[in-house]
Amino acid sequence: MIANIRKLFSYRELIVSLTKKELKIKYRGSALGFFWSLLNPILTMLVYSFVFSIVLQVGTPEFAIFLICALLPFNFLSNSVNYGASSIIANSNLVNKIYFPREIIPLSIILANLFNFLLELAALFIVMGIMGYRFYIYLYLLPVVIFIQFFLVVGMTLLVSALNVFFRDLQHLITIIMMVWFFGTPIIYPLSMVPEKYQFIIKINPMTIYADYYRNIFYYVKYPEGAGFPSAMETLTAVGITLLLFFIGYFAFKKLEPRFAEEI
Amino acid sequence: MVDKNKSLNNIAVDINKVTKRYRIYHEKIPSLKNTILRGKRTTYEEFLALDDISFSIKYGETFGIIGPNGSGKSTLLKLISNIIRPNSGKINIDGTVSALLELGAGFHPDLTGRENIYINSAILGMRKREVDKRFDQIVRFSELEKFIDTPVKNYSSGMYMRLGFSIAINVNPDILLVDEVLAVGDQSFQAKCYKAIYDIMKRGKTIIIVSHDLETISDLCSRVAFLKEGKIVDLGNPIRVVSQYRAYVEELEKKRAGDQQKEERKKIFKTVIESNRKVVDGEDIEKLSRLDSEQTIKRFGSGDAMIADIRLLDENENKLDYCKYGDEVKIALDIKFNRKVESPIFGIRITDVKDNIVYGTNTRTNNLKTKVYNNSESLRVKFAFKVTLIGGNYHVTPAVGYKDSKTYCDWINNMLTINVLKNEKAEGIANLNSKITIEKIS
Repeated sequence: MIANIRKLFSYRELIVSLTKKELKIKYRGSALGFFWSLLNPILTMLVYSFVFSIVLQVGTPEFAIFLICALLPFNFLSNSVNYGASSIIANSNLVNKIYFPREIIPLSIILANLFNFLLELAALFIVMGIMGYRFYIYLYLLPVVIFIQFFLVVGMTLLVSALNVFFRDLQHLITIIMMVWFFGTPIIYPLSMVPEKYQFIIKINPMTIYADYYRNIFYYVKYPEGAGFPSAMETLTAVGITLLLFFIGYFAFKKLEPRFAEEI
Repeated sequence: MVDKNKSLNNIAVDINKVTKRYRIYHEKIPSLKNTILRGKRTTYEEFLALDDISFSIKYGETFGIIGPNGSGKSTLLKLISNIIRPNSGKINIDGTVSALLELGAGFHPDLTGRENIYINSAILGMRKREVDKRFDQIVRFSELEKFIDTPVKNYSSGMYMRLGFSIAINVNPDILLVDEVLAVGDQSFQAKCYKAIYDIMKRGKTIIIVSHDLETISDLCSRVAFLKEGKIVDLGNPIRVVSQYRAYVEELEKKRAGDQQKEERKKIFKTVIESNRKVVDGEDIEKLSRLDSEQTIKRFGSGDAMIADIRLLDENENKLDYCKYGDEVKIALDIKFNRKVESPIFGIRITDVKDNIVYGTNTRTNNLKTKVYNNSESLRVKFAFKVTLIGGNYHVTPAVGYKDSKTYCDWINNMLTINVLKNEKAEGIANLNSKITIEKIS
């Protein structure tokens, strides 16, 4: 694995190049370009706050911020997994004709999504700054949480991108799984709303813990009545599960990689 | 120590007992649903692409690989470039490999030529700094200066290939693999491509070329391997190996043409017989004559006398399209003289579809004296016989020979094809029409 990391390092320019390509393609031909990254979360926020605060009349104050600070990290995961699933097949012309470590393909998609995620966070900072949030108090925790979540994203994306080469209909299943995962993570509801006896199940999901962190870093700074970081035990469990998924994804990918070119 | 040995042996690529099998799935796309429902993977057959291949290529060699489609050439290149892995055996590569298996693989249509140069170079293993240095050179070589900031989706296919080739040859690997990509662009660009390949050769790089262009192969390569059905038929001197491959291809072509003809001819006559028509109608005749012309007709001779026409006639000299056992028929040759010829020999040879001679005869063997014929004289020579052939197709080769019976005025291979209707009473070529009697012996 160390040798492979060294190998990936020697391919760093390709990784950067392909990540840039992903980003360029995403915004090529749209007049607003990168502004979509900023506009997207803002529009989502507006829609959700209309539905939840005005139509459903959920009591949570400033629901849009409450929602978005957990939604953005989840989107980072779900976009990477959804796009990553078909990435090897979509790049069959490369896989079939040129050799390079194949994980670079899903990795470049993850990095492009990470870049997007950070851009969206920057937009969030601006909005929250205007609304008077003192989000910078716990900001030092943010890189750590993103770093740990990154491993979860890589593990899941590698796993599905490799399996999808062999089972093409996995792609459709992934969409459903990601939806279930979305509702199984406290994003549109606070963790405290989940009945005590189900909390255990929901907390096995590492995204629950990370969402809670994100929310404590951003939202609860202004509304401290719901505040409270996950316990050390909960955090360690989440990190443990994350690393487990990362290694499963990585080794599954490496095991299946030699057969990619023949199967697609 | 190992490195020293390597440099002593000067081996760039070593293929040792390599076998590669492909799985050919019965269902095109495997699915999770099927796997779960059946509890096993979709069924497949194995295809042996390379069968226990061993050879090695030295540094600085230009090595050619030829063979028919499906013989394993591309598989071999993919193995060398590490895109696929062998089922058994070992491949040792000493040096960096760059594969030109497909030009412009990985180009993104929405990105400009400039952007694609950077991405494609990175994919082929080049550093950004190197690309910066060579950027102008790449663009100049591709002759796309004006279009370099245009998205490649607006390129013509020729421009696309030119850009792909320009990037690829600037990668500068130790070992370059080239798969059928030299035929790029117009002639002047092709000349440039060859020059570029020559330059790479001169720099002492190892090049492995797969191509159907045998001229190129024997021009460029120092050694050539001829692959067939995953095995090496011959390896070594390009001239020897290429000519061996040529012979093989010709043989194959002949067989294929013959088979196809046979099939089509069969079809035409089947419809005629089924519809109870006595004579093949115009449309069918056209088809048949097209089949005849498709066949590789070999004709040689001085041309002092030319065979203008050949026909199959019945007793009353009406033209026949087919005949059957027992018919009295004639084969008529129309011959036109272009110069004075003394005592020529007129002959025919009848062969079956497998080129076995069924019957041959001429005026000389029949002790028939011929005269002196002058310029622009025309003759009709008739060979009358009773059809004693088993059903099937037979070719007639007519010839006009000089009296020395060694040289010819005209010889046309398989000028006429005779279809003898099937008669299920016997098999073979000659119908000896035996009478069968049975009696008791004590």
